[in-house]
Amino acid sequence: MSAQAGAVELTGVTKRFGDAVAVDRLDLRIEPGEFIALLGPSGCGKTTTLRMIAGFEQPDEGEIRISGESVAGVPPHKRHVNTVFQNYALFPHMNVAENVAYGLQQTRTPKAEIRERVAEALDMVQMRAFADRKPSQMSGGQQQRVALARALVNRPSVLLLDEPLGALDRQLREEMQIELKLLQSRVGTTFVFVTHDQHEALSMGDRIAIMRGGKIEQLDTAAAVYAQPASAFVAGFVGQQNFLAGTARTDGVIESGPIRLRSERAGQHVAPGPVRAAIRPEYVSLAPVADLTAGAGHGTENTVVGRLASIAHLGETMQYVVEVDTGHETTSLLSRIPTPAAPNVHVDDEVVASWTPGCILVFSDPNAGPAIPPDLTTVPSTTPAHPPR
Amino acid sequence: MSHPRRSRPVRVLAHASVAPRIMAEFNRRQFLSVAAALGGVGLLSACGGDGDGNGATPGADATGRATGGELESQLSIYTWGDYDSPDVLERFTEELGPEIRLDSFNSNEEMIAKLVAARGTSGYDIVVPTGQFIPQMVENDLLEPLNKDLIPNLEHMDEAFLSMAWDPENQWSICKAWGTTGFVYDNTVITRELKTWNDFLDAAQNEASGRTSVLDDPAELTGLYFWANGIDWTTEDEGDLQAAEDFLVGELAPHIAAFDSYPGGSAIPQGTHALMQVWNGDARIGIMESPDPDRWTWVLGAPVTQLWMDNWCIAKGAPNIEAAHAFINFVLAPEQVIDQVDYIGYHTGAKDVESMAEEAGLEMLDLVFFTPEQIETMKEGEVNSAQQRIVDIWNKMKAAAGA
Amino acid sequence: MRAPRFLLAIPAWAWLAAFFVLPVATVVYFSFGYKPGIFGTHATDVLSLDRYREALSPTFFTTFTNTLRVGVLGTLLCLVIGIPMAYWMAVKVSPGKRAFLLALVIVPFWTNFLVRTIGWQVILAPEGWLSGMLQALGLRENPLAILYTRSAVLLGVVYNYLPLMILPLFVAFDRVGPAMREASKDLGANRWRTFTRVTLPMARPGIIAGILLVFIPLMGDYITATVLGGARGNMVGQLVASQFQAAQNWALGSAMAVLLIIVIAVTVLVGAAIAYVVTWPLSRARRLRLADLEGLPEKVR
Ligand SMILES: Nc1ncnc2c1ncn2[C@@H]1O[C@H](COP(=O)(O)OP(=O)(O)OP(=O)(O)O)[C@@H](O)[C@H]1O
Ligand SMILES: [Mg+2]
Repeated sequence: MSAQAGAVELTGVTKRFGDAVAVDRLDLRIEPGEFIALLGPSGCGKTTTLRMIAGFEQPDEGEIRISGESVAGVPPHKRHVNTVFQNYALFPHMNVAENVAYGLQQTRTPKAEIRERVAEALDMVQMRAFADRKPSQMSGGQQQRVALARALVNRPSVLLLDEPLGALDRQLREEMQIELKLLQSRVGTTFVFVTHDQHEALSMGDRIAIMRGGKIEQLDTAAAVYAQPASAFVAGFVGQQNFLAGTARTDGVIESGPIRLRSERAGQHVAPGPVRAAIRPEYVSLAPVADLTAGAGHGTENTVVGRLASIAHLGETMQYVVEVDTGHETTSLLSRIPTPAAPNVHVDDEVVASWTPGCILVFSDPNAGPAIPPDLTTVPSTTPAHPPR
Repeated sequence: MSHPRRSRPVRVLAHASVAPRIMAEFNRRQFLSVAAALGGVGLLSACGGDGDGNGATPGADATGRATGGELESQLSIYTWGDYDSPDVLERFTEELGPEIRLDSFNSNEEMIAKLVAARGTSGYDIVVPTGQFIPQMVENDLLEPLNKDLIPNLEHMDEAFLSMAWDPENQWSICKAWGTTGFVYDNTVITRELKTWNDFLDAAQNEASGRTSVLDDPAELTGLYFWANGIDWTTEDEGDLQAAEDFLVGELAPHIAAFDSYPGGSAIPQGTHALMQVWNGDARIGIMESPDPDRWTWVLGAPVTQLWMDNWCIAKGAPNIEAAHAFINFVLAPEQVIDQVDYIGYHTGAKDVESMAEEAGLEMLDLVFFTPEQIETMKEGEVNSAQQRIVDIWNKMKAAAGA
Repeated sequence: MRAPRFLLAIPAWAWLAAFFVLPVATVVYFSFGYKPGIFGTHATDVLSLDRYREALSPTFFTTFTNTLRVGVLGTLLCLVIGIPMAYWMAVKVSPGKRAFLLALVIVPFWTNFLVRTIGWQVILAPEGWLSGMLQALGLRENPLAILYTRSAVLLGVVYNYLPLMILPLFVAFDRVGPAMREASKDLGANRWRTFTRVTLPMARPGIIAGILLVFIPLMGDYITATVLGGARGNMVGQLVASQFQAAQNWALGSAMAVLLIIVIAVTVLVGAAIAYVVTWPLSRARRLRLADLEGLPEKVR
């Protein structure tokens, strides 16, 4: 095997379905042995990308290379790539062992070797005892493991996983995430893992490719994607953000209603004009107004006074919603503080919200918001004007 | 025994000049004929009741219930499919009032089974059995005697077709239509002249081998052998029956291409076979519809052949017995006869019907009317103890022909 | 309040009893009876097995062999033609066109069975239009001689019964779904292997349904064979019908009907056994059980 074995490279790949562009001039290079998480909202082209790598769809434009070789025109059964499907797609008429042996039988592997490798693969996912079961006689998690074994037993250069944990309940999913990650580091196969769950992507991917509208918006490590999102979309999609629309002055201060923000973020250049600032809730701290130091309050940079509209206990953190009257409308700020450090505030209290200047992200295109707002149920970052009280 | 020979309207009679086209061939008549030949469809409806009807008392009371009183408003006729001119039926209702309800059967057996099961409550007034079934029906008390005083038009019937063996005094029945059996051959294939059943059998085993069809009916099949060999075709003698079996199964069967009761429906027009045993009315239709009628030669079976006759009878327990008598009298009237002949293509047994048909300009009447000498050679069939035996021979012959 | 389960089952049992058990029981009962005289059809005051002895005549065997040949050949032909057609419709055709094709398959059923068959008689006649056309085109010198042959019977059988094969096969192939085929290809199986190892085995219920739907009515059908095969289309169904109709011997007819039911059931079982024996070595070779894995060391890296 060459040093390229397991590398996947997509160059300018485009896929259209009729008029709709599912994947749009996508470039992606995956290193051998890497665990890449493809993250993006529904319909952004994740599955289509995976299917093109597997060979079920042919790109309309661009090139795909697997292990250094172009796979144009190579049918799926001739690609050294295996897939774990979202619904597992286990063969219902075969038992677990036969399902796992299927791929090896296609390559006319000697019987003795098939037995060994099937046993090995089933051991790997701790399913050997289930060898005689039919897929219909197993739980979702068990089927998922079998699907994994069935793919890995072939020792593919690249393993494609399309939301493999999507059908599992939360607890099982978290267990499987850890298992999968360990497994991948053990076998050393390149994993391309599709998900629309940001936690899953962040916790598993060596690198995370964030897709939007058929393109990759950012491809980087979890830390980088979190701390240095390349766009407001990425910023909003990974974790949560308080988005504030405003205008940047020539001195670099951003005015958003009564709120003044000054970013002291290293390397961040703020050009004058309309902008969008983003602050993660975990960087917003709260204090009772009584603690207000002299000179703070309205008009003070990176600090604002508002009314505490709600408090929610999320377990390890507390979540607060602060409403700031901007004159003609109300802006809500979301704050999350570790439970042990929770301030002594109550609903309807006047509170001071403040944030570290080093954590403000500024995006110059004011319209570039997230395609889908981060979790609307917990974070109404802006709410319509209150009726006059 | 099934004689489902009349499932054919013969409206073509009046329109014989219309050039038959292939698609016109594929018409309702052809469908009906095959449907009738395959029969059986109505069988289930005839099932029910476990009566074998054997112990029923013969209808001794021959005075009849009909008194010539007022006609009922309805009349129910159970007959062969498409066997009466709609014009005649309409005229009856117009002139005398009763509304007619028609129901049809495919075989005598089906009709009898239904009457047996109903035990006089069938609701049918008129039924039309073939002659040889009448004794069975009388014995099983399935028929009402006729009150001939109410049927004065009987005088228009030809004596030759009254007083048949199965009902010498026409106490139960009056001829409705009759026909006979012969054969048709393709004179471009069989160039010699065929005249008798023996010629038929000879040609079937020679020039027409593999291109011969026979009627799909047990009695007509064994009849073929008996007529050719001067044996009474109602024989119950096992020696005769065995001889028929030996010949039909052992010698004739391999030469037979089809068992077809209605070659006139498609085989003659489409030239499927070279030699076909066929009923006279059906032969006539086939030849008239052929694109090349001169190619076909009709031969009346000789030296003897069959006479079958269907008869007007009144069902036991007929609810409209006055109307039934009135109807029988009505159709026997000379004014109605020619429409009936035109429609069904068979002789109705009426006097002078031949000259009426000639006047009306009907074609190929030599296949409808026969000379007294010819009629002399036609013998009626009989339902007797040989029935199971001839059905077995029929089945054996089919098995041998299909092997 | 929920109805007890047996209440729910009553319609099904009643239906079975009324339309299956009773008629069959009646036929079986009659088959032990006899024909009491010229004018009687059946009597059951003395019961015996004599009718079965009569029914098991050489005629019955000859006719039955002929029927079985038509039944088996016809079913196999329908299967061989039906599988690729149904597969094509379920897999290759876009869903929009699929409805149209299914409609085309069903359209012949809108016409009477007999009319359809006679239609073929007209087409295949030596002086019919097909023959005329072939001769006009110079493809044949002599008139077409297919009517009243076994080939004509099989043609009619395929025409009349193919939809009964295609419909269950189509449903079965359709239910397998693209996901299974993709999984198979993903694991390295080419199209043919995918078909034989995934699509076909998964469609097995549909295949069995199709075979039974064609074979069983075909064994009782004599219309197709008689209309197109003439003397060569002698079928046992007609033999049975002749006892009920022409011979008026319901006892013998019933005995033959019972024999027919038994022989059809036996044929189906024998067919199933043959299919099992033929496919056994193949499935044996691919079988993998927990027991086969025993004794292999656990080696988790
Ligand atoms: N076979 C197809 N025909 C037409 N359009 C398709 C087809 N497959 C995908 N699309 C379209 O292409 C786009 C991308 O689809 P894709 O399945 O790749 O999305 P996805 O990112 O996997 O979404 P999800 O998270 O919901 O699975 C969507 O707009 C989808 O409607
Ligand atoms: Mg998807």
